[in-house]
Amino acid sequence: MRTFKKTLLATSLAIAALCSPLAMTSANAAGTLTVALHQDPGNWDPIATFLVAWGAVGGQVFDGLIMRTPDMKLVPGLATKWEFMDKNTRIRFTLRPGVKFHNGEPFDAEAVKFTFDRLLGDEGKKGPQQSNYAAIDKVVVVNPMTVDMLLKSPDPVLLTKLAGYGAMIVPPRYIKEKGSEYFGMNPVGTGPFRFTEYKPKVSLSFARNPDYWGGAPKVDSVVYRFIAEPATQAAELQAGRIDVANQVPLAMLETLKKDPKLAVVSMGGPVALVLRYNTQRGIMKDREVRRALIMAVDRDAIIKTILLGEAKPIASFQGELSFGYDPTLKPLPFNPAQAKAMLAKAGVKPGTQIQLDFRGPDSNFREVSQAVAAYLQGVGINVSLKPYETNVLLNDIIPNGKVGEMWQMQWGGWTFDYDNTAYSMYYTKQRWNPFDDDARLNGMLHTQRNSWDQPERLKTLRETARYVADQALEMPLYSLNTVYGVNKRAKNLALPADGRFRFVEATVE
Amino acid sequence: MIGFFVKRLLQAVFVVLVVTLFVSYAVRLSGDPAIMLAQGAGSVTEEDLRNIRIGLGLDRPFPVQYFEFVKGMLVGDFGRSFLGGTPVSRLLADALPATLSLAACSLLLSLLISIPLGIQAAVHQGGPIDQAIRIGSLVGLSFPNFWLAIMLVLLLSITFPVLPPSGWDGPVSLIMPTLTMAIIFSATNIRLVRTSMLETLSAQYIMVARAKGLKDRVVLYKHALRNCAIPLITYIGLQFGKMIGGLVVVEKVFNWPGMGTLAFDAISARDYPVLQASVTVLALLVVTANLLVDVAYGLVDPRIRNR
Repeated sequence: MRTFKKTLLATSLAIAALCSPLAMTSANAAGTLTVALHQDPGNWDPIATFLVAWGAVGGQVFDGLIMRTPDMKLVPGLATKWEFMDKNTRIRFTLRPGVKFHNGEPFDAEAVKFTFDRLLGDEGKKGPQQSNYAAIDKVVVVNPMTVDMLLKSPDPVLLTKLAGYGAMIVPPRYIKEKGSEYFGMNPVGTGPFRFTEYKPKVSLSFARNPDYWGGAPKVDSVVYRFIAEPATQAAELQAGRIDVANQVPLAMLETLKKDPKLAVVSMGGPVALVLRYNTQRGIMKDREVRRALIMAVDRDAIIKTILLGEAKPIASFQGELSFGYDPTLKPLPFNPAQAKAMLAKAGVKPGTQIQLDFRGPDSNFREVSQAVAAYLQGVGINVSLKPYETNVLLNDIIPNGKVGEMWQMQWGGWTFDYDNTAYSMYYTKQRWNPFDDDARLNGMLHTQRNSWDQPERLKTLRETARYVADQALEMPLYSLNTVYGVNKRAKNLALPADGRFRFVEATVE
Repeated sequence: MIGFFVKRLLQAVFVVLVVTLFVSYAVRLSGDPAIMLAQGAGSVTEEDLRNIRIGLGLDRPFPVQYFEFVKGMLVGDFGRSFLGGTPVSRLLADALPATLSLAACSLLLSLLISIPLGIQAAVHQGGPIDQAIRIGSLVGLSFPNFWLAIMLVLLLSITFPVLPPSGWDGPVSLIMPTLTMAIIFSATNIRLVRTSMLETLSAQYIMVARAKGLKDRVVLYKHALRNCAIPLITYIGLQFGKMIGGLVVVEKVFNWPGMGTLAFDAISARDYPVLQASVTVLALLVVTANLLVDVAYGLVDPRIRNR
């Protein structure tokens, strides 16, 4: 009995100790900006992954030769200027003098060469980014402050690609001495913040780099906390323990807006959604039917009621910020009566069954697809909704063409160039194009991809978008806004549409 | 006794092996981890994906991959996370204590709630106290754990901001997840204590104890509770598996840096090494708990030992 009693006592003491009223610690120490991030990429080496969550951090610690501002302008970064030479097969970069990596190592032509040798060599082969930079043949050192980038083929999006991810400049001596693995856990760059601590799956901390070439940051430190659940990010925001939430549930937006301490910041984002059509199956072979289905669905109503206005209707598979966006291209109007007539004319019998495949875990899109099904029912088409686990849909169902009549396609690259989407979606035999094989499309996509002439490209890309809309290869839905929850005590955050934070000017009260 | 123990141990090893084999195989049916390294940021080509698969060793046949995993596990090498290459052992070393402390606290708190309440309910069988406790436990039983967790966050982090809503901020962070788990488990435990107490209280030796003129408290806590502790221990051991399932959800809501969150994220990222290792460890925990129950039962009851 004594031991039993003892156990009970010890237990009570343990619980009491745990529940003792400790003062709640606030994560917001003076001068610290705390950011919630939905994922821990597990490695801070620019070439190890190709994840949005990496991009949300990379710009704090690294710089590229070129930088892109939040309003999509390309401006000098570690290169002060660049010029195209030898019929666009060579780009000469003049480097910024007097820049040092966080470990004291000087930034020079060798560092640039090392960065690209690494990206394009065996080390880069292990990661997912090498092909993205395949246009680069090699980098040669002209003098300590000048490099030439030799090109194998044209890549009109290359300068943008140099402003992020795999093209971020890394320190040669540090990596050679410590190895890539150590570098991935203890990143060193030239950026506005110096890495201080990484706790896998928990947090990542930075301190300001007082010697930053672009002017020292205003806040003392930046802490990222990895919080996967959007609802939990919102709760942390409400509790005043984070300053920026990078994913908040739509359902919480009204609550956050009402909180006097908080604000919701939203802007056009890179992600667009469409329902791709299986143009080789049943009624979907008919262009008029495909067009009728577009006209049967009221996208404005879907955006307003389900997405609470945090999206914009699109006419092609891209948002407003995308290079190739055409403001004069309007989506087919919502007109169920005409849609019905078109279907009847095409000989589609009322009650015809089609299937829509979508990402099951995506609760917002589940509602969207239910609404689409209801609208199509209105014109006599019965839709069976088929949810798939996201990975299964992306890896097995779509690339192997095992889809129904239509499927959810969500896409958006950080480069904001329609080339990326259009090529992946419509060029013959691309991973995301199991069905369409159109010589005219292939021709346009090929032409713009191999040209440096941006105005000409813009024309071709717009023509491509118009052609796809005309052929009705998909039902364009909307482009999603990038939405942040923010604590008002944080100012000048310069929140980016593509999620790539850079808190140089930010302050906290 | 040793024979009994060895037999149980072999069964346990077999169970763990079957679980890992099943998990390793099943997760490979459901998609390609290569593309999860490149989600959202930009486009990758088939060649990139092929290179990544080779880099991750996924080009080898499944039996080879599984054998490597088991071989590594035997020498304590769980491999590296597909996502970023962090050694899995490091992730486990961070996550396991977090989960164990949460599980232990929840269990203890649940016992502290359910034993006195269960006894009171049994003693006042049929009376208003019994009714109140039974209805209360039914209410607790009906809460989905994630809902309860969210309600606690709303109440104690947002309306009355006294506790951190998520993460690890020192021992205070344990309170809400522990409370969530404990409330759910107390609901069933109260009923269990009540039932076995009722059974025990009708036994003759209780009558004898009362006849001796012992105080109520002594009869209940000395004579009766020790006798119904045996089915309770058994049940709690068996409950452990269910508890692990509950932990995954509760850890997720509270962003608790434990095994549940680790396993859950590993599933979404198709991070095979982390998933295999964390499921193996979780299976080991459940199996160990059951093993301990078996052994404890055998120690207490000679009839089982000799079977």
